[in-house]
Amino acid sequence: MIELQNVKKIYPNKTVALGGVTLRIEDGEFVFVVGHSGAGKTTLMRLLLREEKPTSGKLLVNEFDLTKLPNHKVAHYRRQLGVVFQDFRLFPNKTVYENVAFAMHVVGTPAGKIRKRVPAILNTVGLGDKLKCYPGELSGGEQQRVALARALANNPKIIIADEPTGNIDPEMSLEIMNLLLKINRLGKTVIVVTHEKSLVDYYQQRVVTIEHGRVTEDKVGGMFE
Amino acid sequence: MSRYNPFYFIGQAFKSLWRNNVMTIASILILASCLVVLGSFALLVADLNLNLDNLGLMNEIAIYLDPDLEEARVDEIYHQLREMDNVDSITYVSKTQGLEEMKQDYAEYSDLFVIAEGEENPLPDMFYITYEDVSRVTTLEYQLGEIEGISKIIFRLDLAMQIDTFKSGVSLIFIWFLVLLFVVSIFVIINTIKIAVHSRRNEINVMRYIGATRTFIITPFVLEGVIIGLAAGGIAYLAEWYIYTYIEQIVTEKIRMIEVYPFSELSMPVLLGFLLIGIVTGAIGSSISLHRNLNA
Repeated sequence: MIELQNVKKIYPNKTVALGGVTLRIEDGEFVFVVGHSGAGKTTLMRLLLREEKPTSGKLLVNEFDLTKLPNHKVAHYRRQLGVVFQDFRLFPNKTVYENVAFAMHVVGTPAGKIRKRVPAILNTVGLGDKLKCYPGELSGGEQQRVALARALANNPKIIIADEPTGNIDPEMSLEIMNLLLKINRLGKTVIVVTHEKSLVDYYQQRVVTIEHGRVTEDKVGGMFE
Repeated sequence: MSRYNPFYFIGQAFKSLWRNNVMTIASILILASCLVVLGSFALLVADLNLNLDNLGLMNEIAIYLDPDLEEARVDEIYHQLREMDNVDSITYVSKTQGLEEMKQDYAEYSDLFVIAEGEENPLPDMFYITYEDVSRVTTLEYQLGEIEGISKIIFRLDLAMQIDTFKSGVSLIFIWFLVLLFVVSIFVIINTIKIAVHSRRNEINVMRYIGATRTFIITPFVLEGVIIGLAAGGIAYLAEWYIYTYIEQIVTEKIRMIEVYPFSELSMPVLLGFLLIGIVTGAIGSSISLHRNLNA
């Protein structure tokens, strides 16, 4: 469960990025967060990733109160999340297998468990036959699927995807979105930050619209207005 | 949660060093050069102290006795000297022994001393004493002045003081050298690790989002610093070995009045010192760099 209670974020230069956001996302929900550039989507993401702390208000993610979370517990908190970026952020000098395994290695998973789990996850995202390929040998869509596999590697409760289809063609975008829905059906909470109207309108999920740092609309089965 | 595999960190450190190989080699060579300069200076100080100590005279006082002193009075003086708490050793040299020593020292002119033998011997009986503490020599001088039957006292106090001051000065320069080279070395390591961090910035960001702890992220970089330090220490030791042995050979063959420690006697302290300074410098340098660059 993610809960924001009147969350404000004001940067030191006095820019009001979020002007009092109240929002609740239940476990297992699929949510699109939409809005134009500068609306506050990125700040919301940064708060959820605990890159920033709210200036005021309360931000709870599962058992973690991010307004009070000390720095030394941030790593532990982030293991609850799987993050997917627009630019994939894969390691070009590691194979597909190594990219996914790395995420498990980082949290200290035993080697035996890594060897078993990585091929299974890559099968889930349809890349079971690309274990030994390097990111440079894959299409944009495939690279994003590797990123998704990496996000899933540590079995997080929440997946946050920041413009996951921003760097791939429309056909591949549908594939990625279908994959995210599939992951959602496995019980994960999925938050997709996007400004791609066609995708949002096509999938008819809950849509939270942010404008000028405030939630202006929150509608299940909504559209990108 | 399982523990991290230490071989992973070591592997990552070596990979990163290889990736930035030019900077790595430059850092190792600069740090090794600093260590060689430092080591050479330390060995110079050790040899200097050895030779200064060899001078021996610096804490020696020559006491000339009255020529017509009774043997019993000489004994009394000997006992008086023994009672003094700053006196370390006492050596009695009779005038006959004194003449013999002169003959040996100037063997080519030994014939000249024949006329001074027996009753004609103009040398006085003497005591040579050495003292323990140069700072209490003035008191000793006063005490010796109070003894009857002593005609002359020759101190090497000025020389002792000068040597003492010289040794202190050399030690001070050595410490400054140490600090200066340490700072230079730290600066070099800071920049190397800064470049390593920069080249892996994306990787570090991903690690953070995945949930890597700070320890997991920084350990390979600290190890990089330590590996650079160890490599520099090893290279510096080999260089020092070559340079010192070369100089030792020249000094032993051509400048016999100067004594130097054989390298075999110093090799272990030099090796351990270089490795220790290398490791400490590497670890501190990389830690400072990470503190500055990872929080940015």
